Amino acid sequence: MHAIKVEKLEKKFGDFRALDGLDLDIRKGEVYGLLGPNGAGKTTAIKVLTGLLKMTAGNAEVLGTRLPNKDITQRVGYMPQETALYLGLTVHQNLEFFGKLFGMDKSKILEREAELLKFIDLERWKDEMVTNLSGGMKHRVSLACALIHEPEVLFLDEPTVGVDPELRESFWKFFGNLKEKGITILITTHYMDEASHCDRIGFMRTGKLIAEGQPQAILREAGTKSLEDAFLFFARRGK
Amino acid sequence: MNFKRALAVSRRVFMDLKNDKRTLALIIIAPLFAMAIFGLAFSGQISDVKVIVVNDDMGMNTTIGQVYLSEVVISNLDPDTLSITTMDDLPSAISEIESGNAYAVFYFPANFTNITILAYNQMTEASTSVGIHIDMSNVNVADTIMQTFNDAVQKTMQERGLEMPVSIQKEAVYGANASFMDFFVPGIMAFVVYILTTLLTLINFVGERTSGTLARLTATPLRESEIVAGYAMTFSVVGTLQALLLLTVGMLVFGVNVEGNVALAFMVVALLAIVCQALGILLSSITHREAQAIQLIPFIIMPGFLLSGVFWPLEALPTWLRPFSYLVPPSYAIDACRSVMLRGWGLDMIWIDVVALIVFAAVFLFLATLSLKRRG
Ligand SMILES: Nc1ncnc2c1ncn2[C@@H]1O[C@H](COP(=O)(O)OP(=O)(O)OP(=O)(O)O)[C@@H](O)[C@H]1O
Ligand SMILES: [Mg+2]
Repeated sequence: MHAIKVEKLEKKFGDFRALDGLDLDIRKGEVYGLLGPNGAGKTTAIKVLTGLLKMTAGNAEVLGTRLPNKDITQRVGYMPQETALYLGLTVHQNLEFFGKLFGMDKSKILEREAELLKFIDLERWKDEMVTNLSGGMKHRVSLACALIHEPEVLFLDEPTVGVDPELRESFWKFFGNLKEKGITILITTHYMDEASHCDRIGFMRTGKLIAEGQPQAILREAGTKSLEDAFLFFARRGK
Repeated sequence: MNFKRALAVSRRVFMDLKNDKRTLALIIIAPLFAMAIFGLAFSGQISDVKVIVVNDDMGMNTTIGQVYLSEVVISNLDPDTLSITTMDDLPSAISEIESGNAYAVFYFPANFTNITILAYNQMTEASTSVGIHIDMSNVNVADTIMQTFNDAVQKTMQERGLEMPVSIQKEAVYGANASFMDFFVPGIMAFVVYILTTLLTLINFVGERTSGTLARLTATPLRESEIVAGYAMTFSVVGTLQALLLLTVGMLVFGVNVEGNVALAFMVVALLAIVCQALGILLSSITHREAQAIQLIPFIIMPGFLLSGVFWPLEALPTWLRPFSYLVPPSYAIDACRSVMLRGWGLDMIWIDVVALIVFAAVFLFLATLSLKRRG
């Protein structure tokens, strides 16, 4: 069963092709890492898949529903690359607001909020205004907002940026738990060491994939020791 | 359209306004400040205008002795409005105007009493005139001087039993006991709600755009119409509360009287707030940064200031400009609030204003929703 299926996806900004024939096929319960240099089109791909941008050509399906489709948002979680929180609201008020948008009732929100605050280790900051939190803390709140409604598919755009190593470790453990529950995660990152936690990774460049597979398989194919070197190998080969 | 989600948006905007102490202060203090400043400034009467009287009147000998009609006119000049000094010689009096020490000189010629009385009794064809030399550089002051002089002449004639061929009787149809503040408060209520609602929504919404929260909402079940409805709910309540606050302070501090149904006036204000929040959302779609929103502020304030009739009657505008007041939503709200609160009119009389506001609301809400649906 595919959780995310993308065929020949194209997104043009004017004459510029940010996505140029992207193909993805991600299974339910898979953790898929999208890697690539700045401007490769990772964020654009996620924005098309979450309905923020309209594709200009191609096909995309999430949980068997052809995009664009508003109803599917109920089952999807999205954490944008920028923090995108209400800075003038407290941590609790942000979580509560997003919970309500997904139709959750008060008690369910509180229960879920307690769980998530524990996970992002911000229980003490529950009633603090978001604007007063540090950059990494804001990032953690943003992740919690994406998870509040227990989505089946998660799109996480650089969720670990600015998060300290210890917490990053626990994030990946948590993603592993979500996977156990059958939740599908599409994640972008610039930390190559993190990519090895993924079931599969895709290297993106100029709007399309240049290589894809399990981290070990990628290393084998490129004949390199690190994913960084592997990326350079595929990038050169692609030219 | 899901009411619960719209309500969630509404609550979120409420909390945003409530959590920010400065915004909260703006919402509460700005209306009172505007009422006090503008109210006091505009209600001020022109007073103590310096004028000089040069009186050459020789009077007239009658059965009751020497009569000086000029003296009577002078004593009938309103002493609050004018501050009068006398001089003997016309040229030096005029030079006082030229040097800016006085606004006007009233000159009574030697034959003033004589000719006036003879002419009234149809015993002469000759005529006399009072020479008024006046500094017209301030039109309001000049008008007041002329008005005061005319009043004094009329009063003199009446006292002397010199009947005017036409007599004028004034009877107030509305606002018999209305003070300036009674007139001003309904207008400023609508005006303040117009300015603040438009600005607050604009700023709040530009924030949603720049911070990325608006984009994030796109990835939730929330629909564009629900966002607009949520903002509308919040600001119609905030607008009504502002109007309530203004009216309360107006009644307690300025002794404002209300003729009609206040609830109807509040309903009009709430409707105006709905129009204005949609306008704010719409304006935010043509701005990308907070700095650009600030550039829009004069374009929000100036038309409201000039064309809504809050400070000057529309009749004071050049005729070619008047039709533009129909394009400014607060015009209708101000007119309706005044009609209700000063004349005691009901919905049956102000329905045209209400319909105009409803049309504005429908169009702006539609356009605001459309502007949110547009995406890359
Ligand atoms: N709204 C837009 N209008 C025009 N060009 C855009 C727009 N959004 C993105 N682009 C362009 O599309 C390309 C892909 O951008 P995107 O944000 O998807 O890259 P990314 O892979 O996420 O990079 P990063 O690692 O820096 O986050 C870039 O060249 C960018 O300039
Ligand atoms: Mg990106």
